[in-house]
Amino acid sequence: MKSLEGDGYKVDFDSGDSSIRLAGSLRLGGLSEYAPISQLLDESLDGRSTLTVDLTGLEFLNSSGIATLSKFVINARNRKDCALTIRGSNAIPWQGKSLNNLKRLMPALELVFD
Amino acid sequence: MSAPDSAARTAGERTPLMHGLTFRQAAATLLIVLLLGLLAGAIELYSDWKSMRAEIRAQTERTLQLVHGPAAEAAYLFNDQLAAQVVDGLFAYHEMKQVVLRDNFGKVIAQRDREDGAPAGALVHFLFGDITAYGIALKHGSAPTGANDVGRLEVALDAGEIAASFNQRGRVLVAVGLVKALVISALVVLIFYFMITRPLLALHAAITRIDPARPGAWPRPSLRGHQRDELGQIVHSLDELMQAFQRGLEQRDRARDENTRLGAELDVSRRIQQILLPSRAELDAIESLDIATYMEPASEVGGDYYDILSHAGGVRIGIGDVTGHGLESGVVMLMTQSAVRTMLTAREEDMVRVMDVLNSTIYNNVQRMGCGKNLTLALLDYHSLHDGAARGRLRISGQHESVVIVRRDGQVEIIDTDSLGFPIGLIEEVAEFVGEIRLDLHQDDVVVLYTDGITEAADEAHRLYGLERLAGLVAAHHRDSAETIKDAIVADVKRHIGSQTLYDDLTLVILKQR
Repeated sequence: MKSLEGDGYKVDFDSGDSSIRLAGSLRLGGLSEYAPISQLLDESLDGRSTLTVDLTGLEFLNSSGIATLSKFVINARNRKDCALTIRGSNAIPWQGKSLNNLKRLMPALELVFD
Repeated sequence: MSAPDSAARTAGERTPLMHGLTFRQAAATLLIVLLLGLLAGAIELYSDWKSMRAEIRAQTERTLQLVHGPAAEAAYLFNDQLAAQVVDGLFAYHEMKQVVLRDNFGKVIAQRDREDGAPAGALVHFLFGDITAYGIALKHGSAPTGANDVGRLEVALDAGEIAASFNQRGRVLVAVGLVKALVISALVVLIFYFMITRPLLALHAAITRIDPARPGAWPRPSLRGHQRDELGQIVHSLDELMQAFQRGLEQRDRARDENTRLGAELDVSRRIQQILLPSRAELDAIESLDIATYMEPASEVGGDYYDILSHAGGVRIGIGDVTGHGLESGVVMLMTQSAVRTMLTAREEDMVRVMDVLNSTIYNNVQRMGCGKNLTLALLDYHSLHDGAARGRLRISGQHESVVIVRRDGQVEIIDTDSLGFPIGLIEEVAEFVGEIRLDLHQDDVVVLYTDGITEAADEAHRLYGLERLAGLVAAHHRDSAETIKDAIVADVKRHIGSQTLYDDLTLVILKQR
């Protein structure tokens, strides 16, 4: 279990059940402030055949966050060794279009809307 | 506030002597010590008076007893000489006013009177008048066989003489009391002055010199010897208060500066957004299309973008929305406008290529900015057609809001653009995601482009305006001019928003095939 926590958000990586959960509202200023989260996301792919990214509790993600998430999905796509699942929620407005774009970045990505 | 000002204040508020602490302390101390002294003196005098009376009485009686023998002898023997000796002996006491020795028939054997004594006043009479007369019966013979009365010795004391020494003592008491009161008052005042008044005056002077604009820099007095007592604590508390004021002021100033900066940034952002918009004349010069546009920045300026560029082969129309608000969004919008025009000037017709170069440009610049901004962007390329029923052809590319088309017969077509592109500036390469839709326009067909500020405009109950209502409204007004359709939409959206703040820019482009 590895965690990152900040003002209004929390990121939990559970290597036991191969899942990483982002929750709260992520409004970090700029790409550099997302670096620790980006690093944790990339780390979670290491030596893993499946990974679930749970975004059902992520109420808000700003554009730098979406860019970070896109970069992560492209990374996962390029590695080709990990089956990625992203869980989102229909009740959260930003996720609809953005998660579908992620799916387009990586067609093998399994997108699950609760 | 300036220094001379506070100096004037100090001078103006100088305390008059009579109201000063020192004077009042002196007056109060003097009064109290005098009263206490007076009381103590009165008690002392009273007890003196009592003991003096007792002493005079006892002493006089003792003296009379002492001369009883010779006096009785003189009276018994009618010895005038002896009697005179006894009376003279008694009369030697200067308190004696009168001494009389009588025989047992009341006849005076010997008598002395003092005439020079001043007449006693009423007070003296009151104090000592009742203890001036004494007398003893003179008896001759021994007690067991029975003594015979042989006469009487009487003395009268001079009350004035007794009072004189009492008065003397009283005067000394009053004088000593006065001196004591003065000395104590002076000591108290001095001690108070050095322990309290002077440091208070120093503190007062420091307070009057406080600059209200910079309370933290007040001349904190160092009261020597008072660091640990209440005065030191007052100075310490006052200092903390001043520092708190200072921090508050600085916070206020920072907030004000930040507000000013944000305000200036907003002004610049608003200016950026408006500065490169196509002019009415440019739009009117496009013969094949009736065009109306609208853009209203939100209170916090967003990054809406639209452009209509006429070129030899037709018209290129762009509409987009940069994520976020403020200056950075405005800058990304400016770059987008410039890149779109550059690609047009370079005569690039291939939409995939246009989008890819645009994305690359914006992506790399946004990476430099480190802000992760991206934008939805739809590019439309219009060409007039001169043969056949259709009058124009529209190519649509790029991911943005749906495009609303209302045909001349009122039929509504919604074109989803999600699969036509990818957010610009989000990832390095987008070529593989870019698609293109081609459609023909006939006379009076209406194309409506907008940003999410329109469809996501919320009313008081947070209900969104929505695509459906927009499409319905365009369908209802599709026979009107582009300008009228635009006005109808803006009015309806404004009605929907009501008194709510505008949180996102409103952008609208209406194209109507002539």
